[in-house]
Amino acid sequence: MKIALTKTDNVYRRNKGFLDILHIDGWLLLGILMLLSASTLLVYSASGGDIDVTYRHILRIGFALALMLIFAQIPPNILYLFTPWLFLAGILMLIAVILFGDVGKGAQRWLDLGPVKFQPSELMKLVLPMTIAWLFAHSNLPPSYRRLAVGALLIAFTAGLIVVQPDLGTSLLIAMSGLFVLFFAGLPWKIIFGAIVATVVSLPIVWHFMHAYQKQRVLTFLDPETDPLGSGYHIIQSKIAIGSGGIEGKGFMGSTQAHLDFLPESTTDFIFSVLAEEFGLIGVILLLTLYVFVIARGLFIASQAQGNFSRLVASSLMMTLFVYVFVNIGMVSGLLPVVGLPLPLMSYGGSALVTLMISFGILMSIHTHKKLLSQ
Amino acid sequence: MNEHLEFNSDAEAQAEKNLFRNRLIFAFLFVLSLFTVLIGRMAYLQWIDFERYHLLAEDNRISVETLSPTRGKIYDRNRLLLADNQPVFTLKLTREKIEDLAEIEQHLAKLLPNFSESQRSKFFDKLRKTSRSKTLLLPYSLSESEAAEFAVQSHKMPGVVLTARLKRTYPFGASGVHAIGYVGRINTKEMSGLDERSYRGTDVIGKLGIERYYEDKLHGEPGIQQVETNARGRVLRKLETIPAVPGKDIQLTLDIKLQQYAESLFTKHKRGSIIAIDPRNGEILTYVSMPTFDPNLFVDGIDQKSYSGLLNNPHKPFINRGINGKYPPGSTIKPFVALGAIEKDYISPTKKIFDPGYFEYKGHRYRDWKRYGHGLVDMSDAIVQSCDTYFYELSLDMGIDAIHDAMAPFGFGAVTGVDIPGESKGILPSQKWKRETKGLPWYRGETIISSIGQGYNLTTPMQLAKATAILANGGKIIQPHLLRGQELASPQQIEIKDIKNWERVIKAMRDVMHGAKGTARRHGAGLPFEVAGKTGTAQVFSLNEADYEAENLDKSLHDHALFIGFAPVKNPKIAVAVIVENGGSGSGTAAPMAVNVIKEYLKTNP
Repeated sequence: MKIALTKTDNVYRRNKGFLDILHIDGWLLLGILMLLSASTLLVYSASGGDIDVTYRHILRIGFALALMLIFAQIPPNILYLFTPWLFLAGILMLIAVILFGDVGKGAQRWLDLGPVKFQPSELMKLVLPMTIAWLFAHSNLPPSYRRLAVGALLIAFTAGLIVVQPDLGTSLLIAMSGLFVLFFAGLPWKIIFGAIVATVVSLPIVWHFMHAYQKQRVLTFLDPETDPLGSGYHIIQSKIAIGSGGIEGKGFMGSTQAHLDFLPESTTDFIFSVLAEEFGLIGVILLLTLYVFVIARGLFIASQAQGNFSRLVASSLMMTLFVYVFVNIGMVSGLLPVVGLPLPLMSYGGSALVTLMISFGILMSIHTHKKLLSQ
Repeated sequence: MNEHLEFNSDAEAQAEKNLFRNRLIFAFLFVLSLFTVLIGRMAYLQWIDFERYHLLAEDNRISVETLSPTRGKIYDRNRLLLADNQPVFTLKLTREKIEDLAEIEQHLAKLLPNFSESQRSKFFDKLRKTSRSKTLLLPYSLSESEAAEFAVQSHKMPGVVLTARLKRTYPFGASGVHAIGYVGRINTKEMSGLDERSYRGTDVIGKLGIERYYEDKLHGEPGIQQVETNARGRVLRKLETIPAVPGKDIQLTLDIKLQQYAESLFTKHKRGSIIAIDPRNGEILTYVSMPTFDPNLFVDGIDQKSYSGLLNNPHKPFINRGINGKYPPGSTIKPFVALGAIEKDYISPTKKIFDPGYFEYKGHRYRDWKRYGHGLVDMSDAIVQSCDTYFYELSLDMGIDAIHDAMAPFGFGAVTGVDIPGESKGILPSQKWKRETKGLPWYRGETIISSIGQGYNLTTPMQLAKATAILANGGKIIQPHLLRGQELASPQQIEIKDIKNWERVIKAMRDVMHGAKGTARRHGAGLPFEVAGKTGTAQVFSLNEADYEAENLDKSLHDHALFIGFAPVKNPKIAVAVIVENGGSGSGTAAPMAVNVIKEYLKTNP
């Protein structure tokens, strides 16, 4: 006991630098800052050298970093206490969106709170996995079947509220973030495989309930060439941009496809194509390495975390980040359907970046608020 | 180690930790393998298939352009053009092709003296910061001589191209702007509510009136054009085209000549509304809200000076008085109250009441407008001479709820459903209304003043016109509308107990105009047709808009002048409601305006 105390005391003293006082994890911050710098250059290039857009992007990055710093100060046990209330608030807001949300582009995703417009589903990206983790943190892992069932019900209920907005893409991704908690909590393999089989079987039924525009997206995904003037145009142009980048790329500001306006949404959903065109396969591999580095660091933080709540939250947030990266890159390279999803830490745009940086703040808090002795 | 101290006492915790660690390892392997898939995909596109995509990119000269649809035109009932699309000249600037922006700015300043300096510097600021490859349109329409001058000098301005586009114009200018509305630039808030696809390539949207209400019809669907471009993105050849579907032309029920005439009647008084409806089908013939303003100013964005001039105009031209002006209806509601009373047997039409010039209730004297009273009056006399005392006494027998029930079928206190966005519903008071909105019980004294259209009563000119039309057509609840062909196939009918009661009320309204004692007899005299009408003078108790300079006016001019009427009495073709803000008396100001509108209309539509 005595020895241990001295040891931890040593460890404590050794690490107590500037970053520790701020509750920042240096490695994670390094990866994030490298990605954000790349993002700023890309936004500048993809917008054709638009200074206004680049300036706004930098402002948003600054704001998001500040939020990360704030959330890193909140100890996980405080977050744990607030989790059920945040979930309740999130559910109420989702219901409010359905009842009197602002209808933007045919879907009511925004809640108009006077000066700010707010997207409750963005909040749920964080709060749902936290809630499921909160639920499972009450007992030993793996959780009982009853708890697993309750968790699955909460996930389905939340996703259901978002599906009716209607926003199928977001609802699937949010459900996914909750399911990762189930997975990390020790959901038995037989249930996982059973669920995969059941999903495959139920696909035709889902197809039946899709909106016409969603069906159209799936169809053009399967064969983009059939609709070269409409949604297929995006994928075709994106593939041309990526492929023509070759191994070395065309150089910074050298993306002809984005600059001649062939490539749509070049600063947001399709920013990866600009990177691939300008920096080639080498740039792509570097970027993916950076993502692997950040995710790996996040999963390491999860492995070192104390308590089931921290573990489950950290690991599921990192896997959610991975899914976003994979779906976006898969989309722009023609592996997955066009779902209109930004590339985390790269795309121009505010709310997704804010959510993501908050989740990094939570991770840093988990890593830096460990108790020396816990019982 | 720390972790051992923490957990070795608990085997379960260790098992838990192992489980989690295994899952983490599995997840990380999952991440790595899927990223490998992505790298494989990229290697396939960028390495193996590089040649193919390289050629495609070099050859990527097929670009897709949006063809914006032509907005539907708006016609009046006689097919006169109310909203048109006129080709105008403007300049297109591409930053990439311009070497010296400051030089171009100077050239343009000389060339276009009417393009204000603030707008110019704002535009060039935007151009400086925007994407190099973007092309921006100058927010200014060149006159023909300016366009010709530009053509001569264009060699000095590379990257600036003369182009033609269609601009919405309103040939009748300010006339009927509150009904027709106008289009303006789409703002960010509107953009977020729009279907991106169908508004690609469109930069204006209906902001007000018909232009906004029938946006879906007028807008059309954009087309798509594949064009071949050279390596710098310049269009060489047009390939496949899906043509744009132009918006639908629409015809209104409005008679723009009659509208102009009605607006011209506002000379001495500046503010008010005249609405004329065909009582047979609900077609709106004129929709006057005065003062008006020129919609052409708004199409390309209004300059700050003109806008603040309009905004600060003491007569408030932006208020759409026809549907949003809420006025105490005054005596114009008397025919409706009287009809309700005799239909429901609250009073016999022949019963006479003595009017000493006031009505006393609980020690309070409610005055008649005529100081020494009207003497013995029956229902007909009470309407013809607009006797207040008769209605004071009748109202206590009826009670507020019976008055409410008599008037509600005529559309008071509810939106009329006219096809202009943002209609107000006014107030038709009842016990329930007061309890729900004010949380207070109803007082009998309030019933007394309600019976002459004062107190809580508030109506819009559109409601008055609709009610008058329903009275004129024998209880057919028509739907007032501006778009031709929108009349109800089978309108509801107000329940009639005895048609003679309706005839009595209409006869009394005829006598308002043509009887020996009618309040508006001097305006009914000598007409080639018979008019039924009712004057109203609504007291305005609070003038909160101090900038009306009301204190300089004669006291009586504080009152709003009202008139409702229809003609010909036997077979009504037009029903009119007139409100003149602070116009004085209904008989002096509003009645002659209504009669003139009717006369003008029946001249061409006998």
